[in-house]
Amino acid sequence: MKQLKEKKFPYLFILPGFLFLFVWLILPMLSALNISLRNWNIMPNMPKPWAGLTNYSQILSDSLFWLSLKNTFVYALVTVIGQMILGLLVALLIDNLIFGKVFFRAVYYLPVVTSWVVVSLLFKFLFNSSPSGFINYLLCNVFHIIDQPVSWLTEANTSFAAIDTLGIWKGIGFAMIIFLAALQSIPQDLYESAEIDGGGTIALFRYITLPALVPTIATVSVMLLIGAFQTYVPVAMITKGGPLHRTEMVVSYIYNTAFTNLNFGYSSALSYVFALIVFGLSRLQLRAFGGQKGIAEK
Amino acid sequence: MKHRIIFITLSIIMLLCTCITSFADDTVNITFWHGYNEDNGEADLLINTLIPQFEAEHPNIKVTAVSVPYDSFLTKLIAAISAGSAPDLFRSDIIWVPQLAEQGVLLSLDENMPDFEEYKEAVFEGPLSTNYWKGHYYGLPLDTNTKVWLSNSAMYEKAGVPVPTAMTELEETCKAIKASDPNAYLFSADGFYAWNLLPFIWSFGGGITDEEVTTADGYINSPQTVAAYEFIMKLYDEGCISPLIMGDGVDNYSGFAGGLYADISDGPWAYSILNGQFPDFNFEASLFPEGEGGSIQVIGGEDINIIAQTQHKEEALEFMRFLVSKDYQISMMSVGQMPVRNDLADSEEVKNHPYFGIFLEQIATSKARTAHPNWAQIDSVITDAGQLIARKEMSAQQALDDAAAKISELIK
Repeated sequence: MKQLKEKKFPYLFILPGFLFLFVWLILPMLSALNISLRNWNIMPNMPKPWAGLTNYSQILSDSLFWLSLKNTFVYALVTVIGQMILGLLVALLIDNLIFGKVFFRAVYYLPVVTSWVVVSLLFKFLFNSSPSGFINYLLCNVFHIIDQPVSWLTEANTSFAAIDTLGIWKGIGFAMIIFLAALQSIPQDLYESAEIDGGGTIALFRYITLPALVPTIATVSVMLLIGAFQTYVPVAMITKGGPLHRTEMVVSYIYNTAFTNLNFGYSSALSYVFALIVFGLSRLQLRAFGGQKGIAEK
Repeated sequence: MKHRIIFITLSIIMLLCTCITSFADDTVNITFWHGYNEDNGEADLLINTLIPQFEAEHPNIKVTAVSVPYDSFLTKLIAAISAGSAPDLFRSDIIWVPQLAEQGVLLSLDENMPDFEEYKEAVFEGPLSTNYWKGHYYGLPLDTNTKVWLSNSAMYEKAGVPVPTAMTELEETCKAIKASDPNAYLFSADGFYAWNLLPFIWSFGGGITDEEVTTADGYINSPQTVAAYEFIMKLYDEGCISPLIMGDGVDNYSGFAGGLYADISDGPWAYSILNGQFPDFNFEASLFPEGEGGSIQVIGGEDINIIAQTQHKEEALEFMRFLVSKDYQISMMSVGQMPVRNDLADSEEVKNHPYFGIFLEQIATSKARTAHPNWAQIDSVITDAGQLIARKEMSAQQALDDAAAKISELIK
C-alpha cells in the first residue's frame, strides 16, 4: 500500500503541468484535427458537415502550398546554418575575452529579445528600394559598389536576402548563449594536456571543442529549425508574401487560408501536414547526429 | 472569535448588497466594435460625446465601444465569433459583408427590424446595396467615401501644366512633370490590388465580372480591361508611375508631400493625415481623369451590422438607429466621415464642408466592388495579374485570360 502511495506521488506533481498542457496544447490540437475533417463554419451554432479526407487530398494539387513549403525550406536552411556558424563564432570570441564578457553577451543577445514587428519594420526601412534606403545608400554612395539602387523588396531573391539577413541577425544571440554555456562546461584540463602534446589552436578546436559541442549543436539545430519553420512576422511585415507569393511561407499561407479566405477546414489540414513534416525532419536530424544525447532528447 | 463574527457579518452584508444591486440593475450592456481613427478625433467624438448622448436618451442601455485597428479587425472578429464572444454590433468595411453574411454571421434586417423599410428609404442606394446578399439586407450603411485625384500644387506650378482631366492627357503631363524634375513621378499607388486598379479599368470601360457575377470571361480579359492594364504598364515603364506599385518605395503620403509624386488618388481621410503630418503642404482635388468609360472611382465606406448570435437584438437595433440618425451623421461629418442619408445630400452642412463637394461629385459616378464571399481571393488574382504583366512574364492578354479563368472558378 505504501509502495502504491509512493508511486502515485510523482504523478501528483506532474498533474498541474499536464493540465496546462492538455488545455492549451493537446485540446486545441484535437480540435484542429476535428476541424480539418470538416467543412468548417466559423459560427458556433451552424452545421459543420463532415468532409473526411477531402481537405487533405486537396493539398496534393495545391501549388501554392508546395511553393510556400519550398520557400520555408530555403529560409530554414539558410538561417539555421547562418545562425549556428555565426553564433558559434561569437561564442568562441566571447569565451576567450578577458574583459567585457557580460557586456558583449548582453549586446549580442539583445536582438533575440526585441520585438519581431519592430525589427521587421526596421529592416523594411533599411532595404527600401529608393536611393535613400539605408543599404542602397551604403552600396551606392558610400562604398560605390553599385551604380543604381537595388529594388530589394520587389524581387523574390533579393527579398529573401533581406528576410534571411533579419532571421540570422535576430537568432545569433540565441545560438551564442547556448554555445557559450556548452563551451564553459568543457574541462580546461583537456585543453591543457593537448597543448602539452603540441596541439595548435585549430587542432584543439577540431579534436576537443567540436566533439564536445556535438550534443549542443544537435539541440540548437533542432530548436532553430523548428523556429525557422514557424516564421511568419517578417514575411507579413516586409513582403506580405509577395511578389506573386514568391516569399510566402507555410505559416503565412495557413494563416491567410483561415483568416482571409475563411477556409478553416483546409487551413487545419495544412497545419497537420506541415506539423508532420517538421516532426519527421526533427527526428531525422537527431538521428543524423548519431544518437547524441542533447537537451532535445533527454 | 469576536473577529470571526465581525468578518462573517461583513461578508453577509457585502453579499446582500451585491445581490440587491444586481436585482435592481436592469441595464443592458451592448458591445460595439469600431475602427474609428484614434488620431483625428473620430474615436474621441464617438466615445466622449455621441455614446454618452445615446446613453442619456436610453438609460437602460450601456454601450461599450471597443476600438479595433482596421488591419486586424476581421481577424479579431472571426476569432471572437468562433469563440462565441463576438460584439453585438460592429462597423464593417463594406467589402466584408458578403463573406460574413454567407457564413451566417450577420442578422438580416429585413426580417428582424420592423422599421427597416423606413431606414432603407432614408439612405443612399449605392452604399445600402453593399449590405445586400442573397435576397436579404444584412446591415445599413454608416459612412461612405470614394477617392479623387489629388495633386501637389507646387509641382504643377513648377511644371507649368494644368492638372490632367482625361486619361489621354496623362502622358503629356508626365513629360512636363519629369522635365521640371527628372526624379519625380506623375502618379503613385501602393500595389496592383483592385482598390487601385479598378478606377483605371472602369474608366477605360472594362470590368471584372458581369452584373450578375456569374462569369469573368469577356470582362476582366475584355479589350477595354486589357487596354487599361497596358496603359498602366506603359506609364510604369516610362517612369510615370512610382515603383511603389511593385510593393516597395517611398510611401504615398511622404512622396506626395515631399515633391516626389505629383498625384495620388485618395479618400477624404487623406486630408486629416496630410494636414496633420505636413501642415505647410498644399494640394488640390479634382475628379479622377476621364477615360472612354467616364471618370469612375471605387466606392468605399463602412456599414453597421449586427451579429446574428446577439443576446440583445432590440438594444443593438436601437443603437443602430442612432448611428444612422441625422444628428449622429452630422456630428461625424465634423471629423471627415461622409454621411449616407439622402436628406443630408443637399444640406448646408455638406455644401459648406471644405472638401466633401468633390467627393460627392465623384461618388455620383463611382461603382462598388464585386459583392462576393470570395472577394479577397478575387482581389489576389487581380493583383497577381498586375505583377505578372509588370514583370513582363506574361502579356496583358495572356495574364488576364488566366485571371478570367481563375475568377470564373471562384464565383462559380
